[in-house]
This record gives sequence, structure tokens and C-alpha cells, in this order.
Amino acid sequence: MTLGLLLAILGAALAVILAGIGSAIGVGLAGQAASGVMSEDPGKFGGVLLLVALPGTQGIYGFLSGFLVILKLGLISGNVIQPTVNQGWAILFACMPVAWAGFISAIHQGKVCTSGVYMVAKQPKESVKPLVMGALVETYAVLGLLATVLLLNGVKFQ
Amino acid sequence: MAVALIEKVHVFAHQSLKTELLSSLQEAGVVHLEEVRLEGFELRSFAADLSDADRTLSRLEHALGVFAAWDETGGLKRLLRPKPALSMKSKKSVLSFDHGRILDELERIESAKNERQTEARILDKEAEFLGPLRALRFPLEILRGTPTTEFRLAILPSSEVEKLSALVQERPFWFETVARDKNFVYVLLAFPRDLGNEIELVLKELKAAPVSLDVQLGKACSGDRVGDILERNEVERARLSADMAALEDKMKALAVHKTALMSVHDILLNEREKALAAGLLGETEKVICLEGWVRAADKERLASRVASVAEAAQVYFRKPLPEEEPPVILENAGIAKPFEIITGLYGLPQRGHLDPTVPLAPFFFLFVGLCVSEGGYGFLVTVLSLLYLKFGRPSKGARLFAKLALYLGLSNIVLGTLFGGWFGFPIRSLLLIDPLKDPISFLGLSLLLGFIQVWFGTLLSMVNAIRNKAFAESIVKGGWLLLLPALVLFFVVRSPLAGILAIAGASAVVLFANPSRNPLARFFGGLYSLYGISGYLSDTLSYSRILALGLATGVIGMVVNNLAQTAFKIPVAGFVLAPIIFVGGHLFNLGIGFLGGFVHSMRLQFVEFFTKFYKGGGKPFKAFRIENKYMEFVE
Repeated sequence: MTLGLLLAILGAALAVILAGIGSAIGVGLAGQAASGVMSEDPGKFGGVLLLVALPGTQGIYGFLSGFLVILKLGLISGNVIQPTVNQGWAILFACMPVAWAGFISAIHQGKVCTSGVYMVAKQPKESVKPLVMGALVETYAVLGLLATVLLLNGVKFQ
Repeated sequence: MAVALIEKVHVFAHQSLKTELLSSLQEAGVVHLEEVRLEGFELRSFAADLSDADRTLSRLEHALGVFAAWDETGGLKRLLRPKPALSMKSKKSVLSFDHGRILDELERIESAKNERQTEARILDKEAEFLGPLRALRFPLEILRGTPTTEFRLAILPSSEVEKLSALVQERPFWFETVARDKNFVYVLLAFPRDLGNEIELVLKELKAAPVSLDVQLGKACSGDRVGDILERNEVERARLSADMAALEDKMKALAVHKTALMSVHDILLNEREKALAAGLLGETEKVICLEGWVRAADKERLASRVASVAEAAQVYFRKPLPEEEPPVILENAGIAKPFEIITGLYGLPQRGHLDPTVPLAPFFFLFVGLCVSEGGYGFLVTVLSLLYLKFGRPSKGARLFAKLALYLGLSNIVLGTLFGGWFGFPIRSLLLIDPLKDPISFLGLSLLLGFIQVWFGTLLSMVNAIRNKAFAESIVKGGWLLLLPALVLFFVVRSPLAGILAIAGASAVVLFANPSRNPLARFFGGLYSLYGISGYLSDTLSYSRILALGLATGVIGMVVNNLAQTAFKIPVAGFVLAPIIFVGGHLFNLGIGFLGGFVHSMRLQFVEFFTKFYKGGGKPFKAFRIENKYMEFVE
């Protein structure tokens, strides 16, 4: 196994790990608030569920980027490609946008969604507006994913 | 595409017709009532005391909640079950039903049951506490001690027992292990009364806690052991359980009145609304005055309704005054109607602003389709919403939402086939762009759509400016409308004509953006407003999210299929695992995909599109009408 392959795998792993950690924290924050609200009124489950789920998307973006790298390296099909060291670095760097943008934005989105959960507790009819607020934060994770996909698409193996 | 024309209405009628008039208006459901504000007349208002009505309604709701807990039908069936019908004319017979008696009876039984429940809980706690002490071989009275000897029960950590055994050698006391569990040991100690303080210290050192049976001792007969108490407990507990079951049966027997209570609830709910409306009226000794808003199209209906109740009543209509903010109703033709949900979520248009529903509808339709881009999921959503519309008997709001879901499903069937796949499998022969292989083309498409929407938003703002007779502003907007596409064209094909058009557009912006009369200030101020181009650029780039979200759904669908295929290769278990992974994975992806697609498409409307031309903040038109929760009112 070459160093290039190792670096590429490190990139995939970091994308999944960092974005996943961010989402876990974000969903955790919103989930705690939601359970608190539901302890008063279990009927609000539907209203707060989406808000809790929203910071989870970063983890999915990270996983998806990791999967694209796995596909690219042929780790599933068994025809494993051995990239050069430089190509390995390129893939590692290409994974950084989704990893870091996902990591940080998921935490902040979790905080926004937590406030959203409190808002739904007081204004049960307004469960969509806080979702839009959450989506404003998510933009940067989406852009991170976009950059990673485009960069990965640009790294070509001969 | 419009905001309905709303007019102000005043109705004057004789005091004696008050209730009848309000009932009739409530049935018509066309007026949005407001507090009467006529100056110069000595009108009084009587705010209604609603506390009684509220209390009865909440008691009814509680009772119906209790009955609903025994409802055997499953959640889905309950959702699809139609509400029972209730005729408006049967109001008197419904209210003659003595609901107070049923409610009293139910509440009495419920509180009796709660009492039993509390008692049972106390007994359970006691049984749990006494359980380990069942092994105590002496009667309880022993704990009272003798004149010279004291007996005491204590619990201490298992690790300390050996130390206690060692102490017995040195001090004049005796102990016996009663019971032990994993971590703790119950012991019975006996010692001379004058050694009490010393033993206290020893116990403290051994981290022992005294176990007090004083309560049980007080109730015990002579010769009682712990086992006897526990047995009596069990008998009592069984009696309580039987009692509770009997009480529950009694409550269940009351459930035959469920429909009657539901009818009473809905009738009273409307009486409450009416009382609330009566509080808005202005009254003199002989006359009542009612003020409100009505759709211009409903004027005739309102007038004839009033005339049918009170011939002598006077109805006046007038157009809203410039300083008034009439409530807003959106009126869109069938196909655009469901998209009013999106407008409503942002806020209804302020007076003088156009309804953005029709302009946003095609974009929203396209964007959700491209963000999810899954024909299979679109098919599922379409079928489900069709089934719900056909068999679910949805309320008005739910029907609108189901229709929106239907459109978004259809959008996905088409766009998912062209740009994505069905359940993670792309249909290659039908693909226009494969976003995985050629993301740049898909990005181009996303940005092009974004550019079109941003440009269209600017066009609408120009229309707004012209309608409001702000001509300088409309020229500036026109300049942008020319500049933006010309600039793009210039960079793509480098045609000099495009360059000239761009300069023409830019000069319109520079010359008219600043209203100053000083030519220098006007020129440089205008030049500065050209900086606004960065806003247009970032708005357009924001649409790149369409690519990212579209890719996300497609790739996760592929991952699910990949996992299912891998699982299928496992001998025997694969036949079970693979379908579970396939179905569960795709359902998860459907949920996440539609959540993302819906929320982000909405954001593109709100943040990138609406900011160009639209102001929300209008108050919604709330007709004074028949409300229902449990029943369906029929004529």
C-alpha cells in the first residue's frame, strides 16, 4: 500500500469524522432542547423533529464525500488504484472543505436549531421559520460539500 | 396572481337582533371582524367574560382525551377516518344533552382512580423497601427493645461486614446478618442501652445507615413479622387493583357519550367565538354597530345575509382609506394555489405589494425537483399524496399541503429521471446530465436558473417602481436588467455589442442611482452603487447549492444500493438483510432529501428572490366563521 493511497484514505476518513462530530454535537444540542420541550408537551414531537434532524445533514455530506473518495480509489470494487504521493495529498486537501465547514457549521446550526426548538415551544404554528434560519447556516456546509465534490472531480488518475 | 380586493363594511342593526345577526354572519364566514372605532357616536363595547366557556371547553377536551386513549383503531386509520357529521340545526338538541353530569361523573371516577393509584404506589414502595427484610426471623416488636437492651436494623456496604465481625470480639454487642444483596448487607444489632453513643460512632465509621421500621411498627399487631406485613400489603394491593379496574370500566362505560360530548364541544366552541365577536361590537341602548372587512366579491352575499335576518339593518361598504391596512387574502387559480403556503410562511404581502406566489411557483417546483432529483422518491410522494387526497378527507390546509407535495413529487419524477435516477439507479438513456460524471454542466444549469430568477426578481422590482411612480428607481433597475445579461454575454462570447449594452446599462445605474442635484456627488454616488453587482454575483452563486443537494441524494441512494448488494452476498441472512437495508435506507434518504430540498428551495425564494421586490408583513384575513375540531358541520 503506497503513501499516496494512505493520504487519500486519511482524507476520506477526516471528511467523515469531522463532519460527523460536528453533526453529533449539533443534533445533540437540539435534541436535548427538544426532549425538554416534549417533557411539557409530547405532542410537539412533529414540530421539533425536523429542527433536530437539520444539523445532521453535515455528517451526511461528510460521509458522502468519504464515499466518493472510496469509489474513486476503487476500494469497493477491489480494483484498488495506487495514487502517487502528490495525488494522495491532493485528495486529502480536497476533503478539507467539507470536513471543516461541516464540523463548525453543524455545531452552530445546532445552536440555531436549539433556539428554534424553544421558539416552536412558544409558537407551535411557526415550526418552519426556524428551519429557514437553520438553513442559512447550512449554506456554508453545502458550499464546502460543493467545493469538495468539484475538487475531487478535478483530481484525475492516469 | 393577486391579492383579493378588500372593502370595509359597517353594519347597523337593532339591539334585539344581535345574537341572530352574529349567528348568521358566522355561518356565512365572509367577514373579518374588528373592534368598532367610530368617533362621535357614544358606543360602548362589552368585552365578553370567556372564563366559563374556556373552562367547560377544556374539561370537554380532557374527557375526550381520556376516551381517545382507549381508541382501538390504529394511527393511520384514525387519520383517515372522517369526522362525524353534525347538522347546524341540531344545536338546541345537542345543548339539551346534560354534558355537565357526564363530565362530573367522569371527573369523580377519575379522581377516585387517581387516589387508588397513589395508595397503590405507596404500597409498592413499601413492598420494595421491606422485601429484603422478609428474612428477619424475629417479630417486629423486638425492635422496641427491652429496658436494658436496644435492637437496631442497619444497612452497610458488604465490604465493611468483616470489620463489624472483628469489633464483636472487642465490644459487648451482638449482631446477625438478615439479608444481603450485591453491594449491601442488612444487619440486626443488639447492644446494652448505655453503649448507645459508642455504637452510633462505630456505625458511622462503617458507613452504615440505620433502617427505621417505626411506621410499620406503629401499625403492626403483636407477633407480626415482616412477612405478615407484606402479605397484608399484597391483599390490599390486589383490592386496589380490582378497584381501579372497576373504576376504569365505569369510565369506559361513559365513552358511549363520546359523540355527544364531541358535538357539545364544537357547538360551544362556536358559541365562544360568537361571544368573542360580540365583544368587538359597538352598542348603544337600541343599536348595535359592527365593523369589519369583506372581500369585494362577497359583498352581495353579506348584504343578503344581513337582510334575511334584519330587514331594517343598514350595511355600508367603502374602499380602504390610505392609512388603513386591510387584512390580506391571496387569490390564485387552481394550479398556483398550493404555493401560497410558501408565501404564507414568509409573510403575506403588505398593502400595495404584489402577490409573489405565481412568480415563485415555477422556480420552487424546479428547484425541489433538482435538489432531490430522485424519480423513485417522487413517484412514492406522488402516490402517497394522491391516496391521502382521495381517501384521507383532509381539512382545507392539509389538502393544500398534500397538493403541494403532489406537485413536488411530479417534479421529481420528471427531473429525477433527467438528472438523477430511480432509487439510486440512473436510467442512462434518459439522462440529460449525469451530475456525478459531469458536475460542471449541472453547476452551469443551477447558476443559469439562479441568474434567471435573480434577473426576474429585479424585473419585478422595476414593475413595482413603475407602479409606485418612482421613475428614477425604475430606470436604475432597468439598467441592471440590461447590464447583468450583457456582462455575462460579454464574458462568454466577447462580442463588442454585448460590451456596449453593458456600458449602456451601467451608465443608467450610474446616472440615476443617486438623487443628488450636485453632478459630482451624483456621479460618484452612482458609481458607488455599481458595487451592488457583488450582491447579484453572490445571490447567483448561492444557487450552486442545487448541485450539491442533488448530488447528495443521488450518491446516498447509490450507497444504499451498494450496501444492500453487499449484504445480499451474505449466505441466508442476506435474503432478509438486503431488503431491510434497501427499504430503510431509501426511506431515510427520501426524508433527508426532501427536508433539504424543501428548506433550501424555500431559502432561495426568501433570501435571494423576495429581497429583490417583495415586502411581507400583511396581516392575514381571518373570517368570523364556523370552527370545528371533532365534528364536520353540514347544512
